[in-house]
Amino acid sequence: MIFSKKKTIVAYTIEKCPKCDMQRKRKFVEGDCLFSDSSKCTSCDGLTRIEKIFGQELES
Amino acid sequence: MSDDTNPLMMLIWILPIILFVFYGQRIQLYVTSGEIKKAIKKLDGFKVESRDELINYVKKNLKLENDPTKNIDKFLEYFTIMPVDMDPNGIVDKVRHTVRMKEDYTREHIKLLSPQITEIELTKVQTLLEIASSLQMIYKIVNHMFLTAKKQNNYPLILPLQMLLPFIMEQAKAMNDSIPAFKTGQPVGDGIGPMIVGKMMLDAKKETVAFQTVLAKTDFEDRTLFLLKAEGPGSTVGRPAEALESIVSNSHIDAIVMVDAALKMEGEDSASVSHGFGAAIGGIGTERFQIEEIATQKKIPIFSIVVKQSTNEAITLMTKEIADTSDDVRSQIYEMIQENTKQGQSIVVIGVGNTSGVPQ
Repeated sequence: MIFSKKKTIVAYTIEKCPKCDMQRKRKFVEGDCLFSDSSKCTSCDGLTRIEKIFGQELES
Repeated sequence: MSDDTNPLMMLIWILPIILFVFYGQRIQLYVTSGEIKKAIKKLDGFKVESRDELINYVKKNLKLENDPTKNIDKFLEYFTIMPVDMDPNGIVDKVRHTVRMKEDYTREHIKLLSPQITEIELTKVQTLLEIASSLQMIYKIVNHMFLTAKKQNNYPLILPLQMLLPFIMEQAKAMNDSIPAFKTGQPVGDGIGPMIVGKMMLDAKKETVAFQTVLAKTDFEDRTLFLLKAEGPGSTVGRPAEALESIVSNSHIDAIVMVDAALKMEGEDSASVSHGFGAAIGGIGTERFQIEEIATQKKIPIFSIVVKQSTNEAITLMTKEIADTSDDVRSQIYEMIQENTKQGQSIVVIGVGNTSGVPQ
């Protein structure tokens, strides 16, 4: 249809630091797995854990 | 001369009437055929795409000894003959046996393609195979109904197909859209139950209690919790009924809490949470039957919490709204346990659904 917008789903990963509760949203990378250790926390010396993986719609 | 008596005008009025009286059905058949042809073309696209995705995935991710194309095409043609239900006595066991036999056979033959395949990869290939063969079957059935109606020039025969087609297309599109999530091992909407229970059992000791099903024991306010889910992060639903049977045979259970995704009705909000009674579990019904049987024999109450979602949301990458309910639902499970059980009692909490991308 002429006026329908194409919807694209983008996968995101939410990392959460168990020490300071800091959350960071980034694009999903292949190999990301829920509840696994992810990266160093940017606000403390803790190690972030993947809390959620989800898709969000982008309209283009 | 007025228009009413003009023979040319009369002819212009009468001709279409005659045309529609004698050829109305055929005209409708042509119009409807056009719509159905478009849908069949789409279904054919889904069928080809899912087959190609499966073959490419197998070639890229498994260590193969031979070209898998011929074997995969053979797997896609497999069919399952459901048991006769004229005498329903013992039908559940027969259905379970037939379905498990097919699953075991497929699993063994995928292993033959690549003997070093890991369990996680195996479940992924099995799911992709299931999607591709379902899409192939849908295409074949719709195409058969359409061609039969056309061959017989039978308009009424095409009507049920026309009515069902939007629902069929919704299911087929959802299946086709689910391929990337299963390939990359991302959690799907149906995985909300395993995701919630998986987080509850994170720091506890886990053991395999039934095929592809894990159990962890924890304590909550002087109550013992038996946490149960399919073994992630592979794409499987596990065997929760068998696991429950094993738990019940060794321990006294006072309540069962089931968390699952449920199909929302039109007009209902996606990711809304509802509470209820009875076994919240989908599938062909054999698992639900067994859980109900155990609960009835032992007089164990079953409480359920469901997260509502559409067909598409249930089998594609989990949406933000569904993922965001996880913490809230976990609190609701604990509240439900506090309200319905006493201290010293034991409760089984089952996270029902496909655990793709959801470890424990």
